[in-house]
Amino acid sequence: MSRGPASRIRVGLALACAGLTAGCGTQAATVAVTRPPAVTAPLSTSLTTAQGTWAIAVMGGSAASHNNFWQLFVRRANTGRWSLATPEGVADNGGLVAAGGNGSLVVGFRPSQELAYSPLATSTDAGLNWTPGLLDAALADTPGAIAVGPSGHTLALLQDGTIEAAPTADDAAAGRWVPLATLKALAASAPGRSCGLKGMTAVSFGPDQNPIAAGSCVRPGAAGVFTDAGGTWRSAGLTLPGNGPGMGTVRVLGLTALAGGNAALLAISHPGGDSLLAAWWDGTRWTVSAPVTADGVRALGFGPGGSAWLLLDSERAETIAGAAGSTWRALPPVPTGTAVLAPPGTGTLAPGTGGSYDALAVSGSRLTVWRLARGAWGKVQQITVPVQYGSSG
Amino acid sequence: MPGMNSGLSPSDPTLVAAFRSALLHQGAIALLMLVFLWLLWATARTWRPAASAGTSGVTAGEPAEARARWLLRTGFGVLWIFDGILQAQPKMAGGLATQVMEPIAASSPGWVQHLVNWGGTAWSYHPIQAGAASVWIQVGIGTWLIVAVRGPWSRLAGAASVIWGLIVWVFGESFGGIFAPGLSWLTGAPGAVLIYVVAGALIALPGGAWRTPRPGRLLLAGLGVFFAAMAVLQAWPGRGFWPGRAAAKPGTLSRMVTEMAGTPQPHFLSSLLSGFASFATRYGFAVNLVVVIALAAMGAAFLSGRPRLVRYAMWSGIVFCLADWVLVQDFGFLGGLGTDPNSMIPLIVLFSAGYLALTPAAHEAKAPARAAEAKRPGVRSVAAAGALAVILLGAAPMAAAAVNRTADPILALAISGDSTSLNLPAPGFSLTDQNGRTVSLAGLRGKVVLMTFLDPVCTSDCPIIAQEFKQTGQMLGAQAKNVELVAVVANPTYRSTAFTRAFDRQEGLTTVPDWLYLTGSLSQLGAVWRHYGVTVENLPAGAMAAHNDLAVVIDPAGRIRQELSSDPGPATLSTRSSFSVLLGQYARQALRQTLGQS
Repeated sequence: MSRGPASRIRVGLALACAGLTAGCGTQAATVAVTRPPAVTAPLSTSLTTAQGTWAIAVMGGSAASHNNFWQLFVRRANTGRWSLATPEGVADNGGLVAAGGNGSLVVGFRPSQELAYSPLATSTDAGLNWTPGLLDAALADTPGAIAVGPSGHTLALLQDGTIEAAPTADDAAAGRWVPLATLKALAASAPGRSCGLKGMTAVSFGPDQNPIAAGSCVRPGAAGVFTDAGGTWRSAGLTLPGNGPGMGTVRVLGLTALAGGNAALLAISHPGGDSLLAAWWDGTRWTVSAPVTADGVRALGFGPGGSAWLLLDSERAETIAGAAGSTWRALPPVPTGTAVLAPPGTGTLAPGTGGSYDALAVSGSRLTVWRLARGAWGKVQQITVPVQYGSSG
Repeated sequence: MPGMNSGLSPSDPTLVAAFRSALLHQGAIALLMLVFLWLLWATARTWRPAASAGTSGVTAGEPAEARARWLLRTGFGVLWIFDGILQAQPKMAGGLATQVMEPIAASSPGWVQHLVNWGGTAWSYHPIQAGAASVWIQVGIGTWLIVAVRGPWSRLAGAASVIWGLIVWVFGESFGGIFAPGLSWLTGAPGAVLIYVVAGALIALPGGAWRTPRPGRLLLAGLGVFFAAMAVLQAWPGRGFWPGRAAAKPGTLSRMVTEMAGTPQPHFLSSLLSGFASFATRYGFAVNLVVVIALAAMGAAFLSGRPRLVRYAMWSGIVFCLADWVLVQDFGFLGGLGTDPNSMIPLIVLFSAGYLALTPAAHEAKAPARAAEAKRPGVRSVAAAGALAVILLGAAPMAAAAVNRTADPILALAISGDSTSLNLPAPGFSLTDQNGRTVSLAGLRGKVVLMTFLDPVCTSDCPIIAQEFKQTGQMLGAQAKNVELVAVVANPTYRSTAFTRAFDRQEGLTTVPDWLYLTGSLSQLGAVWRHYGVTVENLPAGAMAAHNDLAVVIDPAGRIRQELSSDPGPATLSTRSSFSVLLGQYARQALRQTLGQS
């Protein structure tokens, strides 16, 4: 039985349409997800030690991340000028993390590319010379990933949330680290369960030189700050004012040791955006600042005496003094390209610095230092950093 | 797509020279084989003259070959040979996987990309064998199609065309892009080689099938459906073919033509394409309307099966296809990496054959083959056997290479350049291994030492080189016990055994037998660096310590036999494997040299 031409045309068109219909897929439906606080702590930061003020910022301006290298700058005590102090011998395109100790600064290199562990470098002469050290694991991607106690006792927060400890500076140099806690163990502990601990963000030492760890929690209003009391982790007792309905989840962005206490910077998620606040601990009780709103944090850090600073989106900068009852103070809009703020020193600054903030602005391989004086930023220094483009493949 | 990309330039001189050399070598073998077959045939003919006419299995009473089949056979035979010649272009060996297969697959779904990646990886591991195989297989199939006129040999040629065509369609054309967006007849959908496959299948039909118009009707009906579907696709709203310009940018067709105009080619051709692209941008709707109407009309005419209509459609289709071939497909084979003339020429051959099959000449059904034709098949059978031998010539080394999971050393040679063969005493040293034991070069006498210089906190090359050394040890098998894999620290600051151990753990070297990572004081290391010509220095501003990548092969007598750059280059899967193979070859060579001397 033969079919007529018209029938064949119909069959052909029907087949073509069927094929096309089959080829037209449907779009997958989007799934709504609950997001954690958008604010995280970038590695750009500054800190103050007896040797001077240190600042960390990434430079290079390359589209290829492996060509952007993190730089460590130091403004040595008794001087007002910054200089490059990045330790040599390791590619630091994965990031730098620093912590001040008793007369020393320890710098950790975050792994990048093919490197899977974190070399360290320690300086006791304000960055003129460095001694190599080793952490045979990957440091966490947070500015609070290393802490050094007065005795050289060193803590390291790893990428997987484990906390390791080196009893002395020599142990840290030789790579002799021992596990102190894991994220899993901390999350399973009573204080961890209480706050719904889901990640670690910082380590430090408490007033009695016991290790402290901080993280982010999923239980609204619960702040995850824990102290190690002879192998048992306890809550440090940080309670946020207004804790209750409407309070979002809390992430500790930064944690530092003070004389006789600690200071912390926290982010709280809200439906309308995130807010940041500072908290100080004197070993017995916490004092919490008023919040400041922020959509994103470009850098944050601590200064002398428990002061803290935030570099926010839209050229905003906020500082707060360490004294109880102090409030956030907005600095004038920071210069374009500002990557990090540096607080005033410890009172040993050279005349003319005025005990005021510096803004370190980065453009490619050039660093421009702006200093706040009489309510305005003035350019005080420029450094051209010999960024080794192409040195990491 | 991991594996597919060797990371090397397609015009890398080492690859190009090796490819040319392989083609010449295999071409000479092919020539010898053909001469041998000819001699064999001539001898057999002399001894058994009566049998010569019957060797093809064709008798004088068999009908002549149908015109449609002749057109398919010779047309696609010529096309295969032409494609084979295109495969011999210098950049093909190094560039087909990365510049042809990978980009075509990029817009296809993940499963297509995975499949293509599998084939592309095999190619990038053995680019020379793969490139040469493609040449000989395609030339062989083409020749086979042309010389084998009828009978099982001829049908087998059609089947070979189907098999190879499917391989090319899947791996080389990512299923002709039918699973990717933007499918259009204008640019070659559903893949030129799929047309070769259809033609091959028709050639493989029994000879008797061509005595009636039925194959022609079926072929034309299939083509009718195809053209109708392509018309619908071309007309489908939202696919971007109607507007000549959208959002202040050229429309889909203009963009495609402009991209083709960018292919390296004579200026007048690129000007012609650019001109058409401008025209399509200005009159996009009209151009697409013409295309849709033409496709729909051809589809309807072919589906009708009426010879007169089909004839009109065939001639207008030839003109239409040629216009598309020139103005949109840009001939398909230009630019140094064109693999075929795209879809229009094969399509013309196919629907023309459909018309001829629909209207068989009166003599085709019953006319006997001419006496002269009946005598020739003996030659043709030998030629067909020769063509098959040419196919095997290409396929056999490729098949052997494909089952080999290691890459050819040619990739490493292309990166590092030729190594330097030496016969010098290796400067001695005494350093500390990762376990704190003292190791001297003198203590390693009796073994081949593969030595390199690695920074334990390196972020790029050194871990890759270490993996290549590790893989070399694994490849050496039983011979590994005669080989010591040695690295010397190349960092002036991070050089303690804590770091060599950390590096070993990172790279999984702690369980590798005969692996030594040596370090020492700065003065000890400095002396070794100096003696072996390695420059090591710290760089400022957060950069890795700099050192040159060097590997040396020291024979069991303590003499340097080879010195080569161990720069891993693009460090792809294929180049890593290639370096390991090369190092293994040098190690075996050093062992043999020593045995020869002793």
